[in-house]
Amino acid sequence: MSTLTIDAIRKSYGAVETLKGIDIALESGEFLVLLGASGCGKSTLLNIIAGLAEPTSGDIRIDDRSIVGVHPKDRDIAMVFQSYALYPNLTVHRNIGFGLEMRKVDRAERDRAVRETAKLLQIENLLERKPGQLSGGQRQRVAIGRALVRNPKIFLFDEPLSNLDAKLRMEMRTELKRLHQMTRTTVVYVTHDQIEAMTLATRIAVMRGGRIEQLDTPENIYNRPATLYVATFVGAPPMNLLAATAGEGGLRIDGTDIIVPVPDLDGIAPGRRLVLGIRPEAIERSGAGVPLTARCEVAELTGPELVVTAAMGSQRLVAALPATTRIAAGDEIALAVAPAAFHVFDAETEQRLN
Amino acid sequence: MSSTWMTTRAWLLMLPLLVIMLAVIGWPMVDTVRLSFTDAKLIGSGGAFVGFDNYLKMLSNNNFQRALYATTWFAVVSVTAEMVIGVLAALLLNQRFYGRTVLRALLILPWALPTVVNATLWRLIYNPEYGALNAALTQVGLLDSYRSWLGEPGTAMTALIIADCWKNFPLVALIALAALQAVPRDITSASLVDGAGPFARFRFVILPYLAGPLMVALVLRTIEAFKVFDIIWVMTRGGPANSTRTLSILVYQEAFSFQRAGSGASLALVVTLIVTVLAIGYGMLVRRTAGSAA
Ligand SMILES: Nc1ncnc2c1ncn2[C@@H]1O[C@H](COP(=O)(O)OP(=O)(O)OP(=O)(O)O)[C@@H](O)[C@H]1O
Ligand SMILES: [Mg+2]
Repeated sequence: MSTLTIDAIRKSYGAVETLKGIDIALESGEFLVLLGASGCGKSTLLNIIAGLAEPTSGDIRIDDRSIVGVHPKDRDIAMVFQSYALYPNLTVHRNIGFGLEMRKVDRAERDRAVRETAKLLQIENLLERKPGQLSGGQRQRVAIGRALVRNPKIFLFDEPLSNLDAKLRMEMRTELKRLHQMTRTTVVYVTHDQIEAMTLATRIAVMRGGRIEQLDTPENIYNRPATLYVATFVGAPPMNLLAATAGEGGLRIDGTDIIVPVPDLDGIAPGRRLVLGIRPEAIERSGAGVPLTARCEVAELTGPELVVTAAMGSQRLVAALPATTRIAAGDEIALAVAPAAFHVFDAETEQRLN
Repeated sequence: MSSTWMTTRAWLLMLPLLVIMLAVIGWPMVDTVRLSFTDAKLIGSGGAFVGFDNYLKMLSNNNFQRALYATTWFAVVSVTAEMVIGVLAALLLNQRFYGRTVLRALLILPWALPTVVNATLWRLIYNPEYGALNAALTQVGLLDSYRSWLGEPGTAMTALIIADCWKNFPLVALIALAALQAVPRDITSASLVDGAGPFARFRFVILPYLAGPLMVALVLRTIEAFKVFDIIWVMTRGGPANSTRTLSILVYQEAFSFQRAGSGASLALVVTLIVTVLAIGYGMLVRRTAGSAA
């Protein structure tokens, strides 16, 4: 049960600035997910929290105690790595108990803790094996066990599930959520998988080029993305981004004569270049919303839904419709979008306007 | 294509090489075995068949036992020292510091020098009249008067071992350095978070990746050390008072200095046998180590 405060953290490698001022304040028991594309600095930030790298400037506090310069072992954190990072010639039992062994916890106490953790993760029957004799999923359980057994103030995860196959990844995701609900330990979790981020996080920090683009709850990241980048990063299929221009009584989608009345858009000068965002799943076949018409180009049945790619004037629109919808290529289709489901961004600054 | 033709073709392609190998290695080996059962001289004809005489004489002979002891001592001490120094050097050169690249490049130098050059160099260092070692030791006050390091039975072997270590530790260091670079960064990080100190980290993180390659270095170095000839020949010729006369030196003296081809051959075969046994034993050990580290 601990708070974590990250205060104006910067990190440079030579002339390259990898982190450009990161501020995060975590309540005790929060599950923060750092989400972002490869190379945006997620691991660097995590390593700085762990003490495996030192920040160029800024401060990090756990429970209001600064930990900058403190040795990793004295920070009361535990870390799980993407590559599992198990000790190859130690048994599972000793791997899990290694941190306790190094901290001179006596044998009986250690054994009890290891067995308890192994039971929790359902790997009791693997305790005498070496890492080389385990499957990927089992190794990841051991790696999680090694972190769990120490009962640290903060858990750090660096893409722990990305080496697992899709089915196992889903299972482990649920497992992690269960463990977090049980232990209520503060977690910082790195991933570039948006589903993992949405399902696990109490808050998500979307990172881009060493900065935090948006730090918010999963609901807000999805429903009210603060920037174009966040809007496209979360959601599959990705949000439709239509070029539009501000006008009288709403905004006009370029290349069409569709006028979209969007609330809370007062004070925007007519003629301003905008981007109108519409999530594919917010588009309906009919309803009370703003009507749109488009011509179907491709219709793909994915199973749960029918993904329709349609032309709307000179622009293209993707809609995720119920699987029972009957639409064929070439059809003229009537669609509707609820006024609240429109996202409006400035084309220049890429910031949200509504 | 049938598999018999593949096999035949493989043998046909290897035939020239096999013939040459048989001619330059096989035949001399066979002839050495034959010679070892005769009292042949180096110059002159044939020699009469004497049965196991040469072998019996050798085994009861004090020279052989002393040479075997000298060889073992040389091999064990120099190889142990080379392994320890080599690993320490590799650990050091694996750290980040200014000038590391230059040092890494320099490391290879002693090993790249031909043995004869290295030996000559160390003879200069040990020289009783103008050697650097004498000068250095007297200047810091550790020595009253110049000594003949290679001329005294008490110090000659140690001096040789130091020279051999200097030449060969870089090989071990290079192999170890390559192995160290294969240690996954994440495991090192995990051990830091887990609170492992330098010794625990060496034992549980580094050693598993180092053991296999080091085993290979150990095998190579031990076998070479058992066959040692050139460095000793250049520096002491087996002296003083035969204190540095190893098996290979003894073989040379027997066969070429004393021109006793027959007993020289029997000695050579025994050295070959010892090295072969070592090689096989080590080979099995390497396979075991490689199996457990995976
Ligand atoms: N030790 C280092 N020396 C120099 N540059 C580094 C170092 N570590 C990371 N970087 C650089 O910092 C940037 C961010 O790296 P980081 O590993 O934090 O990315 P990431 O967001 O974790 O990406 P991924 O999703 O691929 O793991 C990269 O451009 C990387 O090249
Ligand atoms: Mg990373």
